[in-house]
Amino acid sequence: MAMTADELGSTISLDGARKVRGNLTQARIRWMILALVLGFGLVGGRLVQLGMVVPDSTIEGQARDVITATRPPILDRNGLEMAVDIRVPSLYAEPRRIIDVEEAVRKIRTVLPDLSEDWLRKRLTGDKGFVWVQRELSPAIQDRIMRLGIPGIEFLTESKRFYPGMSEASHILGSTNIDNQGIAGIERHMDGEDVALLQELGLARGNALKPVELSVDMRVQHVMHEQLMDAMTRYQAIAAAGVMMDIHTGEVIALASVPDFNPNEPATALVKDSFNRITAGIFEPGSIFKTVTLAGALSSGAVSINEQLDARFGIRFGRFTIDDFHGKHRILSLPEVYKYSSNIGTIRIMQAMGKENFRAFLTTMGFDARVQFELPEMRLPTVPKQLSEVGAATASFGHGLSVSPLHMLTAYAAFVNGGNYVPPTLYKRDKAEAEQLYRRVITEDASAQMRYLMRLNALEGSGSQMNKAALGYRVGGKTGTAEKVVDGRYSSSKVTNFFGSAFPLDNPRYAMIIMVDEPKAENPQSGTTAGWNAGALTGRIVQRVAPMLGIAPDFSPLIDEQLVPPELR
Amino acid sequence: MIRNLNILLIFSSVLMLSGVYALKFSIENTASERTALIALIDSQEGDLSILKADEAVLSQPGHIEPIIKRHQYALLIEPVKQEQFGSFTAIPMRPAKPNSAAMDSLFLSLEAGIDPIDAILELEGIE
Repeated sequence: MAMTADELGSTISLDGARKVRGNLTQARIRWMILALVLGFGLVGGRLVQLGMVVPDSTIEGQARDVITATRPPILDRNGLEMAVDIRVPSLYAEPRRIIDVEEAVRKIRTVLPDLSEDWLRKRLTGDKGFVWVQRELSPAIQDRIMRLGIPGIEFLTESKRFYPGMSEASHILGSTNIDNQGIAGIERHMDGEDVALLQELGLARGNALKPVELSVDMRVQHVMHEQLMDAMTRYQAIAAAGVMMDIHTGEVIALASVPDFNPNEPATALVKDSFNRITAGIFEPGSIFKTVTLAGALSSGAVSINEQLDARFGIRFGRFTIDDFHGKHRILSLPEVYKYSSNIGTIRIMQAMGKENFRAFLTTMGFDARVQFELPEMRLPTVPKQLSEVGAATASFGHGLSVSPLHMLTAYAAFVNGGNYVPPTLYKRDKAEAEQLYRRVITEDASAQMRYLMRLNALEGSGSQMNKAALGYRVGGKTGTAEKVVDGRYSSSKVTNFFGSAFPLDNPRYAMIIMVDEPKAENPQSGTTAGWNAGALTGRIVQRVAPMLGIAPDFSPLIDEQLVPPELR
Repeated sequence: MIRNLNILLIFSSVLMLSGVYALKFSIENTASERTALIALIDSQEGDLSILKADEAVLSQPGHIEPIIKRHQYALLIEPVKQEQFGSFTAIPMRPAKPNSAAMDSLFLSLEAGIDPIDAILELEGIE
């Protein structure tokens, strides 16, 4: 039988034992390689995945850096701290790590009984990673809560703003919110500058920030605040405010307005009437505005210092007649107009200058716009764009227009410092820097004459109450009693009183505006006009602060004689 | 040969293993020390900030004045008055020295042994 390959079927080939083993090994190696590649691939993949995860470091929507960021300390001009950062513990919870919510609620409430039970339970229940429980606690409370040993309850050290001067410089400093951001005053201004940026970049760490030096002198600030508080009770006033400035550099030495608030408890700032009356309050300035009219007229040359003005009769405008308060009703010299605070005389001086020129001078003095100043609390003054005949007449003695006390302060400073307007500041500034900002508003001669007039008013006029207390410090100034508008009419019982002053007038260095709102007579012998309250208050402040500012008293009559302009000697 | 090499490798790997672990633990140790130090510095900075705030409160004029007022009568102090200030020009000049030339010359002559009174007595014829 013939056999073909086909019939035989497939050839059976048997591998030797060695070959079989070799094949098996190779297969195993392949499987192993595959397993290893898979294994390492898994590890590698996980690594890549972990690398891609962005850790969530925010706390309730805010970066942790921002919450723990510090603010620079604020120092007064002598290096005394006005605002510092303190580290305080804040209590937070990680609800997903809390095992027994009921127990945690009960235990926390033994230490912090003020927390509402329902609120706390809701807060601690859930799967959140971070919730605040109570911020800014004391180290003692931190200790007690730590001792409770509740899992998922932790502390974070936060920076909290602290104002060691309490309410004394509240309107200058303003305050910060719980996240350490400035919400008012210079704190807010600082944020606008660069502090906020530094905090955002996470650079505001520890003590790295350079302290901010203010122009304020805390000693003077204290005296002013204390005297204003005293005036509130002494004259039963509804408000009082004061501001003092270095007339050469524009540095504000003290600024206070009462009623005020405690910046350590920012909620107190919301109390009615605690606004900053120096910058955010606008008032009819009353007679202290006569200084502006006289300065403008003397500088323009429209009147001279030995001008004679007819104040025998009131001035008629249609139905109205404007008369003097304690009228002399005779021909007055220009210094007498100022001394007796004659409305008639002041209108005549304004008319000699011309109402257009007078209006232009108000613009020159910056009465149309906000004063350039760091505090954000500012209000636009209301000065009519066009003055009618009667409008110009009333404006010349400070009625029918409203400006802030800060406006009056800058004007008074310019009138006595030789005639240069210098914008006020709360930061330190030296004279050379300030001189670059000078803007001439009145002539040097007019400035010298204004110094004489202001001193004269203190010696013989309405400022004598002031001069009694501040004898020897060569203070000069002008009173202003502005009647308030009640139900559309000027009320003679409700008045806002001002005293604008400068000292020492032989070599002037400081200007000051004091305001007392709705004062009553201190005793039956005294009155309610500005000399009795705002004036006397100015005197008491100068008496206290002049030695601090390095001004020695001098009783020599020669000094006052030297202030008299050559034309009048 | 291979066996020796294997033994060597096993030993060296055990050695390196222990070395690596020692390094790991020492690093962990240092890290925890560092964490503890950071926590310490943090708490000390916190304490320091509170102390600084305390100091600032204590040196505020508004804090000092009430203390002064409380002890005003015990210490006999009151705010300075204008009259209390003086100037150098207000201080009077030192008074002129008395003229002692005659006395000096008398003492000098006495010391030299010459008593001027002798001449007068002699003139008067006393003695």
